[in-house]
Amino acid sequence: MASDGARKQFWKRSNSKVPGSIQHVYGAQHPPFDPLLHGTLLKAAPKAPATPVKAKRISTFQEFESNTSDAWDAGEDDDGLLAMAAESLNTDVVMETAHRVLRNHSQRQERRKPQEAPGPEQEPQPSAEPPSVPSGDLRLVKSVSESHTSCPADSAGDTAPLQRSQSLPHSVAAAVGGTSDPSALSSSALSEREASRLDKFKQLLAGPNTDLEELRKLSWSGIPKPVRPMTWKLLSGYLPANVDRRPATLQRKQKEYFAFIEHYYDSRNDDVHQDTYRQIHIDIPRMSPEALILQPKVTEDNYTFAQPGIQMKVKMLEELVSRIDEQVHRHLDQHEVRYLQFAFRWMNNLLMREVPLHCTIRLWDTYQSEPDGFSHFHLYVCAAFLVRWRKEILEERDFQELLLFLQNLPTAHWGNEDISLLLAEAYRLKFAFADAPNHYKK
Amino acid sequence: MEAIWLYQFRLIVIGDSTVGKSCLIRRFTEGRFAQVSDPTVGVDFFSRLVEIEPGKRIKLQIWDTAGQERFRSITRAYYRNSVGGLLLFDITNRRSFQNVHEWLEETKVHVQPYQIVFVLVGHKCDLDTQRQVTRHEAEKLAAAYGMKYIETSARDAINVEKAFTDLTRDIYELVKRGDITIQEGWEGVKSGFVPNVVHSSEEVVKSERRCLC
Repeated sequence: MASDGARKQFWKRSNSKVPGSIQHVYGAQHPPFDPLLHGTLLKAAPKAPATPVKAKRISTFQEFESNTSDAWDAGEDDDGLLAMAAESLNTDVVMETAHRVLRNHSQRQERRKPQEAPGPEQEPQPSAEPPSVPSGDLRLVKSVSESHTSCPADSAGDTAPLQRSQSLPHSVAAAVGGTSDPSALSSSALSEREASRLDKFKQLLAGPNTDLEELRKLSWSGIPKPVRPMTWKLLSGYLPANVDRRPATLQRKQKEYFAFIEHYYDSRNDDVHQDTYRQIHIDIPRMSPEALILQPKVTEDNYTFAQPGIQMKVKMLEELVSRIDEQVHRHLDQHEVRYLQFAFRWMNNLLMREVPLHCTIRLWDTYQSEPDGFSHFHLYVCAAFLVRWRKEILEERDFQELLLFLQNLPTAHWGNEDISLLLAEAYRLKFAFADAPNHYKK
Repeated sequence: MEAIWLYQFRLIVIGDSTVGKSCLIRRFTEGRFAQVSDPTVGVDFFSRLVEIEPGKRIKLQIWDTAGQERFRSITRAYYRNSVGGLLLFDITNRRSFQNVHEWLEETKVHVQPYQIVFVLVGHKCDLDTQRQVTRHEAEKLAAAYGMKYIETSARDAINVEKAFTDLTRDIYELVKRGDITIQEGWEGVKSGFVPNVVHSSEEVVKSERRCLC
C-alpha cells in the first residue's frame, strides 16, 4: 500500500475517467457538439456574456434540427381510421372510431396469425420472455465467466438464465423501427390518406394564425413526421400560433436559454451544487441521445422528495383499475402485488421505460392534444396498458412471476399500431369510467 | 414449474446512486453486463436460485433499489421484509463509501423490529487504478459494523457469485440455528416447497435423494 501521506490524498487525485467524477462538460448548450460554438462560448462566456455568434446559433440550430430529425423517424404515422376521426373530434365519432379500430385490429390479428412467426405477444403462453427461454421457470444461473469457480453442483440443464425481457427496448425498437405493418390497409390507400393528412397539417401550420384547437384535433391520432417538430412547439406553447411572430419568439427563447447557461453554467462546481451536478453528469450519458426531447410540464409534486404527486397517481390508477377490471385488480391483490411495485415507473417516466422510443413519441402526440394529457389522460392510458395484459396476468399465479412480468412487459416490438389501439382503448375508458364529468372540457 | 427450494430469502440491495447495484444484480441473475444501464426508478425485482450445498437450494428474491434520494420514500418500504442486504459503495467514489454509515442508519430506522444481515460490497474493483477507498479501511469499517466485506466487479464478473452466495449461506446458518425464524406477516424468510406438492416427476426424484434438514 501507499505511504500514509499518499494514502490520505490519493483519492483526491484527478480521476478524469471515473464515472460520475466531476469533469468540465462543454455540452451544456444548444446545439451541442459544435466545436466552433464551443470555442466561441468558452472564450466569450466569462468576458462578454451578451452577444457572441447569434446568427451562427440560429443556423446551427437548424442544422442540429435536421441532423437529429431521424430521432423522429422510427415508425410511420399511423392509423388511418383514427386519423379520419380526428378531423372532427367529437365524442361520438371518436368512440365509434375507437370501436372500429379495436374491431379492425382483432380481424387483422386473425388474418395475420397463419403467416406470421409467433412473436411474444401472440404466443399462447403467458411468457414475458424471448421464445427460447421457457417461461415461468426458475433456473439456476451461472455467470458465464464465473461458472467454473462457484456453484459446482449446478446441473447442466439448469443454466438458462431467468431473463428479464428487454427492459430497454429502445435498441430493438431502433432496429425494427420504420417497418410498417405489412397487414395494414392497402398501402396506396394509406399513403393517400397520409398525404392528405400531411396537407392538412401544412395548411394549418402555414398560418397566418394556426388554429390550435384544430391542430390538436388533427394531432390526436398522430402527427406526420415532417411536421412534428413545429406541431409540438405549437401544442406545447413554445411558439405562438401567429406565423409571423414565430421566428422572433424562437430567437428570444433561444437567447433566454443561452442566458440561463451563462448565468448558471459556472455555478456547477459550487459546493452547494455538487450533488446535483454529479447526478446530472451521471444521468446524461445514460440517456439515449434520441431521448432528448421536450419535457412536459410537470408539477413540483412529482419530482421532489417522496414524490407525493407520483404516489397519488399510482393510487388513482389502482382505484381506476378496480372499477375497470375488478378481476385483474383482485388477482394482483390476492398475490400481494402492489401497484407501486410496477406502476410507479409508469407514472414517473410516463411509460417511457415500458415502450420503445418511437412509441413514446407517438403517445406524446396524443398527450399534447388531450386536455391534461400528461396527467389525467395518462392515467387512463396506464389503466388500458395494464388491462391490455389481463390474460397474461390472470394466468400468472405467483407473486414473483407476476411482478417479473409486470416490470418487464413484452413491448420491445411494439409499433404505432399498438399505441393507437392503446389510446383508443384509453379514450373509451375515459368516457366509460369518468369519475368527474368536468374533466372533459368540451 | 417451480424448482424445489428449501427457503426463500428476500434480499435488498442499497447504496448511493451509480455505485452499480443494478449491474451487480443483472450479472448475478442474468449473467451479463451492460455498459449503459438506466437509473433505477423506485424498486426493481429480480430472482434467482442458488445452491448453497449440493441439493440445497435457496430461492432469492432481490429488491434492486434506486439510489437517488428522491426515491427514498419508495425504497425504504422494502427494508422491513428483507432478511439480507448488500450495501454497495463504489471503490472509485469516496463519497459513496462515506455514505455507508448513513445507509445503515437509514435501514435501522425502517427495519424494526426485524434485522437485516448485511454484507458490505466494494464494487467496481476492476477499476483499481482509480481506487479511492483502500481495501483495508473498507474492511475496518465493515468489521466495526459486524459485516463481512467483499470486493466485486460486475463488468469482469469478479466475486459476484460469492457475494450473494456467502450472504445466503450466512443467513441459512442463522435460520438453521434458530437465530432467524419464519414469522407470520414477515416476508424475509419463507420455507420452501414440500416435495410431494411438486408434480414434476423429475423434481420429485431429485428431491427424494436429498435430505431436507
